[in-house]
Amino acid sequence: MAELLQYTITGIAVGMIYALIALGFALVWKSSSVANLALGQLVLISSWFTYGMLVQAKFPLWIGFPLTILFALFLGWMIERFTLRPLIAQPILSLITVTLGVAYFLEGLVTFVWPVSVGALPRFFPQEPIYIGPAVVSQEYVWAAGISLLLFGLLSLFFKYHRMGIAMRATADDQLAVQACAIPVTSVFSTSWMFACVVAAIGGVLISSIGGVTFGLVETGLKSFSVVILGGLDSFVGCIVAGPIIGLAENLGGGYLTQFIGPGIKDIIPFIIIIIVMVIKPYGLFGETRIERI
Amino acid sequence: MDLPCGTRNYDYARDMAVLRTKTHWMLFIGLLAVVFTAPLYWSNYWLGVANLIGITIIAAIGLNILIGYCGQLSIGHAGFMAIGAYTTAVLTGKLGFPFLGGLICSGFTAGFIGLIFGLPSVRVKGFYLAITTIAAQFIIIWVINHWAPVTGGFVGLKVPYASIGDFIFRSKASQFYLIMVIAALCILFDKNLARGRIGRAFIAVRDNDLAAEVMGINLAYYKLLAFFIGCFLAGIAGALFAHWVGFLNAESFTLSDSILYIGMVIIGGLGTTLGPVLGAILIRLLQQGIMYISPLLEGTFPTLPAGFTTGIGPMVFGLVIILFLVFEPRGLAHRWMLFKAAYRLWPFSY
Repeated sequence: MAELLQYTITGIAVGMIYALIALGFALVWKSSSVANLALGQLVLISSWFTYGMLVQAKFPLWIGFPLTILFALFLGWMIERFTLRPLIAQPILSLITVTLGVAYFLEGLVTFVWPVSVGALPRFFPQEPIYIGPAVVSQEYVWAAGISLLLFGLLSLFFKYHRMGIAMRATADDQLAVQACAIPVTSVFSTSWMFACVVAAIGGVLISSIGGVTFGLVETGLKSFSVVILGGLDSFVGCIVAGPIIGLAENLGGGYLTQFIGPGIKDIIPFIIIIIVMVIKPYGLFGETRIERI
Repeated sequence: MDLPCGTRNYDYARDMAVLRTKTHWMLFIGLLAVVFTAPLYWSNYWLGVANLIGITIIAAIGLNILIGYCGQLSIGHAGFMAIGAYTTAVLTGKLGFPFLGGLICSGFTAGFIGLIFGLPSVRVKGFYLAITTIAAQFIIIWVINHWAPVTGGFVGLKVPYASIGDFIFRSKASQFYLIMVIAALCILFDKNLARGRIGRAFIAVRDNDLAAEVMGINLAYYKLLAFFIGCFLAGIAGALFAHWVGFLNAESFTLSDSILYIGMVIIGGLGTTLGPVLGAILIRLLQQGIMYISPLLEGTFPTLPAGFTTGIGPMVFGLVIILFLVFEPRGLAHRWMLFKAAYRLWPFSY
């Protein structure tokens, strides 16, 4: 029983982080219908950057984190400006593969600058574990889930009330109409990329505060694709609902199936979920079903 | 198709011929002569590189059928290669199959597994399919790593040399001939596939799948057929790779490799026969160049960071993919066409 509760709580917490990263994807997809396959690498590079700031350059937290956020903003702007803007109105295949190119480049950059394979971030959450009923959960998970929820709240408010947020929603709805209203679509695109990078960076820092900075972070980013797929590509609500589901499936499956199937089953459960969703309900739980006409 | 002056189409067979003019024939025979005498004057090292290029060409052709002709993005190509490689390793190494039997079986195994992972393509496309194939890549590699009794798990698997009858392809030169013959057959197959009914159906599906369906093309059939053929070729390439390296490990078939294959197809030119060949050659030579130059650079500039050698490769490839997509999305094959047109018309530009 204690085991079950423990898996559930960790699952939901990790799922919230996945959901946060997935939100970055949904943001870009919604505003510019570009599928960002470099998600994992964005998580990777911003976590390593945090490592570089906090551990290698020995900045205190209050300088290191804002620097990471700035770096993420810059990264997002760069990616949008130099790879995606020249490709506006190109076929979707080019848009997807260019993000693969970006992914490849970023991965190379990380091995270039940080040739070590594992790094540990300093502990910035309290160490004492929390006792919830019979389960013992380390505080990092609770904090991570809390921060993710908080960011969700802030982002929803931003989309509801801020001018840019409204412009982004409008762009998602109809690009031509938005241009007619004198909203600069390109700046909406680059804002959405900057947001996506920031969200990926925060998700990356949260994940790596739990598990350390490794190359496995790429897989973490890729796992959040299963969140996107399950929730529906263009749905924020979908992310919030699907994230914990994926996290739960991963942790419960990892906890109870390992003895039957073997170690490491945890790592591919999200991918199996992707295949299942694709076969049964390809547009996800909350996604908009597309009807095409000639 | 652009042809020199005076080349007329007297009958259908001549119209359809791949080699149309005397110059074509001469160049073709010259190429054959160069390729098939190459082992006489190339060192073993460069023969190894050429073997890898040949294997890569086969895989890239498969991916080109899938992406370039049929428009179905697959980011799990290295995974399907892994299936082919491990199939032949198990069949020839453990069960004593002959090499050719193992080769064909690897193709079919990879093809059928590709078919399974291609099933979602009947309902979805674009990004959804890309994600499915990424999932396929991870699931395949995971199974290989964890199904230790059959695949050797993380330890790996030894593969015997390829052999036909009593002849064993042990030397680099004999492997070179084997790989080049199969690669040439694959190129021919690709060329003819693209010109026939199937290839045209693929192109119709790529350009507008709804319109294709209205025209009477069975979408599900052709999409799955593309997956089957693409993965079949990946399986063949994987099997050749297995016999070529002699020792298999899932490390050789990572997601990065899958992306690299996509890069090759894009750099070469999507939807052309020439494209994947050029792309494979360019990327593999680029890899050789980087391998050659990075220790030199590191020796000359000691201030370079320690990850220079491992990091510079992916950075360059990522950059090349991005630059090609931005500046020449139709790839090297298109450049080659332009060059041919300019050469034909020279010195007049019209």
